[in-house]
Amino acid sequence: MSSKPFLRITEPLPDLVPGGPVDFDELFARYGRYVARLAARLLGAGDREVDDVVQDVFWLASRRLPTIADMIQARGWLATVTTRAVARRLRRRRFRRLFHAGPLVHEVPAPGATAEQRALLARIYEVLETLPTDQRLAWSLRYIEGEPLDQVAALCRCSLATAKRRVTAAKNVIDEVFGDE
Amino acid sequence: MSHQLDEAGFDKIDPLWGPERERAVRAAIAQRAIRRQGTVRTAAAVTATALIAVGGFALWSHRAGTVVADSLVPATSPSQGAPAAEMASETVSVTKLSLDTVLAPLPEHGGRGFVLRAGAARFSVPHDEERPFVVTAGDVTIEDLGTTFTVRFAAVDRLNVAVEEGRVRVHAGETDTEVAAGATLEVPVAPVAGPPVKPQRAARAVAGSWRPLAERGQYEEARTALRKAGPSAVRNDTADLLLAADAARLSGHPAEAVPYLEKVVHGHGHDPRAGLAAFTLGRVLLDELGRPTEAIEAFALARSFGGPLAEDALAREVEAASRAGDVTRSRELALLYRRLYANGRRAKAVSRFGGLD
Repeated sequence: MSSKPFLRITEPLPDLVPGGPVDFDELFARYGRYVARLAARLLGAGDREVDDVVQDVFWLASRRLPTIADMIQARGWLATVTTRAVARRLRRRRFRRLFHAGPLVHEVPAPGATAEQRALLARIYEVLETLPTDQRLAWSLRYIEGEPLDQVAALCRCSLATAKRRVTAAKNVIDEVFGDE
Repeated sequence: MSHQLDEAGFDKIDPLWGPERERAVRAAIAQRAIRRQGTVRTAAAVTATALIAVGGFALWSHRAGTVVADSLVPATSPSQGAPAAEMASETVSVTKLSLDTVLAPLPEHGGRGFVLRAGAARFSVPHDEERPFVVTAGDVTIEDLGTTFTVRFAAVDRLNVAVEEGRVRVHAGETDTEVAAGATLEVPVAPVAGPPVKPQRAARAVAGSWRPLAERGQYEEARTALRKAGPSAVRNDTADLLLAADAARLSGHPAEAVPYLEKVVHGHGHDPRAGLAAFTLGRVLLDELGRPTEAIEAFALARSFGGPLAEDALAREVEAASRAGDVTRSRELALLYRRLYANGRRAKAVSRFGGLD
């Protein structure tokens, strides 16, 4: 399994220069879509949940603007906050499922995908739903987002060793499931 | 697996983020900001109100301390024709330093003499050659020589005089001692036979102090003040006895509440609160002191007063009898409960304790 470097979270955008104050409108206009896509891929869900995550992330951003150095660093900061917001949501989802209060399968929004790809995505997210949140996020960041392990550790706020362990644990489950199929 | 995942098309995942959703999210964020502003405003208003209340209370407490003292000290000027500024500078300031301080003016000194009978007091006095300021404590006399000083009963037979500014002259027994600023003098003191000393006034001062504490819910402090003041501090009326019982009970000393409650039950049986006192007594005896046999009697008495507590009293009586091991009585009482309160709210507990299950 190879990571996807074209999806690096912290890669700076070419038209941005370091420094300078961060304006909320500009931040939202530039990174709204990025946060929504990241949330959708980590959650494996579409409209409502993604909107909620975007709202949570930019609500926090609106209050922390003075602490964000510039638009380049803002991207990494937003990625971290999005990861945490998604983690909270995934934990809540697992908790709800304990009481059979949440759906088992979520519609993955992949408009350009073929029918086979949609089926495969649905199956992958179904398996991911069974994993502990920390392992799921670590694996998603590594193999869906293509993050290097040190970045996975930073985003998950854990040590590199823990990040490796989580990714490996999740990978073993996924390998086992898809190896059998 | 690797092959399968590579073909999964994660890069095709797109939540279709568009201007509509962007607007909706932005509107929701704006809404949250408004809600937060409202919350912050409310919190600020509550905090400001609390601060004003605390400040007001602190000011009131401070003024209360000095007003009591000031009322004892009519500010007097040495001469009738003195200008206003001089009169102000002539003001004597007296502060009681403890709750049990008993301080009385000496009428013959025209506001420039006091007798300290208990506790401690601080005096700040401008010197007047013609009308010296005098404090007497027992057989000790302290005369100011232009100063601020504190007189304190260190013990029943020891007096402590501490001088902050200026000097005082302390006359104790046959000796006169001048005490300068920064110095402290401790002298033996004996009560004076002449003027009538009223020690009960100190007791009264302390006795009065437990009541507001208990009323404010400061039960531990109220109990301490009550113990210091002795049993005479509680008046023999229902309200005072119940308040004292609360102070004892709610400060974690239930055994001390029993005599007060018994006094209400047996001494003020005609009072409408006697039933409540009996019920409380039963609860204290059963729940807090583990004395179920006595609790049975208390609950029976509470029941005999009738009223809204009667049902609960009977139910607790069943429980008390059960805990005391009196199976026959608990069963009889449980049957009585069932007869009187067929759909009583304590029916389940009563059946359990009465062995009717």
